[in-house]
Amino acid sequence: MAALGTAYFYLCALLAVGGAVSVVAAKNPIRCAMGLLLLILSVAGLFLALHAQFLAAIQLIVYAGAIVILFLFVIMLLGPAASTPSDRRGLAVRVFGGGLFGVAGLTSLTLVARAAETAHRVLPMPVPDASFGGIEAFGSVLFQDTLVPFEVSSGLLMVAVVGAIAVARGRQGSHSMSPAEQEIRGRAPSQDPLRELHPSGVFSHELPPGDDAKGQSA
Amino acid sequence: MIPVEHYVLLSALLFVIGGVGFLVRRNVLVALMSIEVMLNAANLALVAYNRSHLARGVAQTYGGQSHTGQVLAFFIIAAEAAEVAVGLAIVLALYRLRRTVRSDEADLLRN
Amino acid sequence: MSPLFPVHDYTLIAVILGMPLLGAFVNGVWGKRLGNQAVKMMALSAVGLSFAASIIAFASLVGAVGPEKDAHVKLSWTAWEWMHTTGGRGISIPIDVKFSIDQLSGVMMLVVTGVGFLIHLYATSYMEKDKGFARFFAYMNLFIFSMLVLILGDNLPVLFVGWEGVGLCSYLLIGFWYENGANAAAGKKAFIANRVGDFGLLCAMFLLAWYTGALDWNGIANGASSLANPSDALRVHVWPLGNGTYTGVLSFLQPGYFQAHHTAVLENIMPRAPVTISAATAVGLALLLGCTGKSAQIPLYVWLPDAMAGPTPVSALIHAATMVTAGIYLICRLSFVFVLSPFVMVVIAVVGVSTALLAASIAVVQTDIKKVLAYSTVSQLGFMFLGVGVGAFAAGFFHVFTHAFFKACLFLGAGSVIHAMHARVHDDDAAQDIRNMGGLRKWLPLTHGTFAAATAAIIGVPLTSGFFSKDEILYRAYVDRTVNPLAGTGILRGHGVYSPPEWIGHALYWAAVAAAAMTAFYMCRLYILTFWGSFRGWTVGRPSLLARQELATGTHGGDESHEEEHHPHREDLLSPGYPPHESPWQMTVPLIVLATFSVFAGFLNPGFVKVEKPMEHWLDPVFKTATEGAVIVREGNEWTLALGGIGAFLLGTVLAWWVYIEKKGQPAEQAKAWSPALYKLLLEKWRVDELYEATVIAGLDSLAETSAAVDRGIVDGVLARLTALLVAASGTVLRAFQNGVVQMYAATMVVGLASVGWFFTVPHANATVADAGNDDYLVTAAPGVGYAYRWDADGDGKPDKPDFGSQETLKVHVLPGTTTLVSFEVKNAFGFTRTKKLTVARPQAPVTSL
Repeated sequence: MAALGTAYFYLCALLAVGGAVSVVAAKNPIRCAMGLLLLILSVAGLFLALHAQFLAAIQLIVYAGAIVILFLFVIMLLGPAASTPSDRRGLAVRVFGGGLFGVAGLTSLTLVARAAETAHRVLPMPVPDASFGGIEAFGSVLFQDTLVPFEVSSGLLMVAVVGAIAVARGRQGSHSMSPAEQEIRGRAPSQDPLRELHPSGVFSHELPPGDDAKGQSA
Repeated sequence: MIPVEHYVLLSALLFVIGGVGFLVRRNVLVALMSIEVMLNAANLALVAYNRSHLARGVAQTYGGQSHTGQVLAFFIIAAEAAEVAVGLAIVLALYRLRRTVRSDEADLLRN
Repeated sequence: MSPLFPVHDYTLIAVILGMPLLGAFVNGVWGKRLGNQAVKMMALSAVGLSFAASIIAFASLVGAVGPEKDAHVKLSWTAWEWMHTTGGRGISIPIDVKFSIDQLSGVMMLVVTGVGFLIHLYATSYMEKDKGFARFFAYMNLFIFSMLVLILGDNLPVLFVGWEGVGLCSYLLIGFWYENGANAAAGKKAFIANRVGDFGLLCAMFLLAWYTGALDWNGIANGASSLANPSDALRVHVWPLGNGTYTGVLSFLQPGYFQAHHTAVLENIMPRAPVTISAATAVGLALLLGCTGKSAQIPLYVWLPDAMAGPTPVSALIHAATMVTAGIYLICRLSFVFVLSPFVMVVIAVVGVSTALLAASIAVVQTDIKKVLAYSTVSQLGFMFLGVGVGAFAAGFFHVFTHAFFKACLFLGAGSVIHAMHARVHDDDAAQDIRNMGGLRKWLPLTHGTFAAATAAIIGVPLTSGFFSKDEILYRAYVDRTVNPLAGTGILRGHGVYSPPEWIGHALYWAAVAAAAMTAFYMCRLYILTFWGSFRGWTVGRPSLLARQELATGTHGGDESHEEEHHPHREDLLSPGYPPHESPWQMTVPLIVLATFSVFAGFLNPGFVKVEKPMEHWLDPVFKTATEGAVIVREGNEWTLALGGIGAFLLGTVLAWWVYIEKKGQPAEQAKAWSPALYKLLLEKWRVDELYEATVIAGLDSLAETSAAVDRGIVDGVLARLTALLVAASGTVLRAFQNGVVQMYAATMVVGLASVGWFFTVPHANATVADAGNDDYLVTAAPGVGYAYRWDADGDGKPDKPDFGSQETLKVHVLPGTTTLVSFEVKNAFGFTRTKKLTVARPQAPVTSL
């Protein structure tokens, strides 16, 4: 049984690292998103191994089910513009920054490993209850001890929604009105024939991909 | 049993990968995703330590066992979702402004 | 009066001082708006009221002095307490704004306000058409105020305030027509020359405060004995400066150096012992510098001829009657200080007579009427200096008194002449040139009469005022001897005392006679060329257009002022333009008054007519203490010595008459041709200005040039540019970090993060040592996360215990005078170690002596 647990851990770990490397190194942004998805799934698996069932579920629902989707939406929206050609501009800064970080990080890794070795202690992990990491445990802690952060984070999410809308909407002007609105207000709709086919929505008329429509803010 | 140090090592490795990715990649979307990677690494470390230090602390306990790490990881996920939403909105605004998602072309604050 | 104004709180002085100040303020601030009439009234009433109050004050003074007239009475008034300063030996010297009228300042006060009033009246007509009318009278009133402060001040600081004030007003009034650069330059020259003198006055003040511990007249008189103290500590060390010693490289400057080394020529010239002068000499010389500045003597007289650029009333008031006499007033005031140093007295007399000769020689060849009078003023001031220099303070002051009248009359008369010429000639420079004048007595009878009277006074026509005052000075120059007043006492035994040579009296007398002869000559020359002969200015300048028209049409309209003033003679009308005309009453009445005084004021102190000398008797209490024991008046035959003066007058007058009337100026032309170089030298004022220009001013200019070059080259060029370059360079470097790309900023954060990480990864070994009493020291290691320590306290180089423990402190027993070496190693959680060595020492306990 222990061997199974070990094998499970190493499998999840491998997939996680693979996903992370793929996020970092892939050229195609869709590949990056997929790598992220793989990472999230692996980490969810590791949560399960750590008796954090609720958190694993949350991880899957929120991360894999919303955030990665969001990423994919935006990538699709941008279309070909989402992937950037790689060239050597700013290489020195990037290599320096990334290299220093990597060196520092790996050094700390090594130090931690050594410290763990020298400590010569393998404390046995305590055995948790069945209720550890469950919904009841989580709910009672969330709604009693950490009630204030909980409410505040809901406020945070509200603010984030409003902010995202505000940032993504852009300027208030004739060019930001939908074609229907423009007709009603007597202004000429833009020349793009595709525009009239698009349903009016918050974002859709904003970004015909790759089309430099007139009236856009510079 | 897997000692907690293994989990922490894995977390550190993922964090380094994410950090290097953020610093090196110029595509803003990929940079955002690297941030996700880093946050996941942090969550992993938190949950791992929570598993190994069950009886510490008097707060955030249920059944005499501390759930601090997991609760903190939960909040991190929540905040981080908000961050992604706003971040992607900013990416879209940047695209509208400069028709690009390259970070080295988003240098309007140069000098 | 005495219950209203008691002697020690004589507040009428506030009226005397306050009226001109009020007039200056009102005219200065609102003058333009008030208009010429109001300004006239304000100015005249201010000075007039001040004069009236002065008369009342003088009457009170006469009453207070009493019939015997031997008491030195002062009517004093303290306005407020100004400040305190510390004098010699730590004495606190109070300086109050205090004014006092005594016999000396009372007379001066009357002269200033009286003559000032007449000149103000004159100026109301003279300056009528000037657009700076209000400004002029504001300055004039301010001048009267400053002069009164100077005269009535009871201590040196208040006098100095007045001194500076008159200097300022002189500057403002000389450069009154400042649009012309030359006038402004003349004003500047006056001010700067005065400033050089003021430096001397300030040094004298400091010396007096140090030696006598007081700055008011009474206090200085009380403490004056320490000025003449011959002991070495109380003398002023001239060489070596400040009684120091020159060593090392500069040791050749030490007195006696050349004598010790037997250097050939220098051992006879250079001093063999430290050179000291008495404090009285130092004070006297410093004060003399101040007086030469203000009273235009050698070497600082150069500003007075240039000061003629100002309006004529200014020249009359300031540079003839009042301001230039401030120097002599100061010498008279501090007479008891000056007499303590016979050397200074001789210097004053010699300076005076040399200046008299120099100025008279220059005046002989000048052609501008005002310049002749200016040099005449310098020359007469030289006479006054001669008078006070030989110890005849009352005689010198009497000459101040009479000079005020006749010189003011001469200047105002010259102004009247210029006024008349200007209406005719319309050119500023040509209107003042005596070569363009002549025969003016026909058209300017009043001016002529008064000018003649004043000329008679200045050349010393017997029984005029100038005769009495000048001859008194000549007499005293011959018979006086100044000695050190302490010579008779035993104080000076064993010390060398300066005594003037025997022949000094003769030399001064004959030199003064020569100057008097020259005075007579050039004044008669001036008078003759201006008023006698035929008018030479017909063809000079642009004749009046109006006159030409009338000539053409045959009518004679013109304004009323011309109607009364001259008769329309046919030959006059044939010449282009009207001939010169007499001045209005505001100008002629002061002339008449002053001329009367010039002629008759001499009887206030008739010298050798052997009757009562009222003025000298009046001033006796002021100068008695000074002259007692210091000035010895030998017996000399007054009549014989007066012959010298009368002879000088006759010689000069007859010569002038012969040259200019008999021979119509021919001998003058011949003299010019005989020695053109000498003539040129005299005309160019002995090139003194050029000398100053080449030496002092050139030196200052080169210093200024050097400073400017240093400023441009080094400060601006190098320092400023260098710092700017540094800042710009660092800016360029730092700007590279702000490229707007987020990853760059993140990379910078990583650098910071790495540093913090390094700080935490590497162990830090620090320790503090504290005294724990009982000869123990407590060594405490700095804590850190996961640190373990290993100590070595016995100095053997090996740790005490092989394991790392958590012991953070160590107690070390250190005996006094010994040191112990303590070292410890720190290991952190990552297994890195670091060592630190400390030396703990206790100093030897101090041995306390009983």
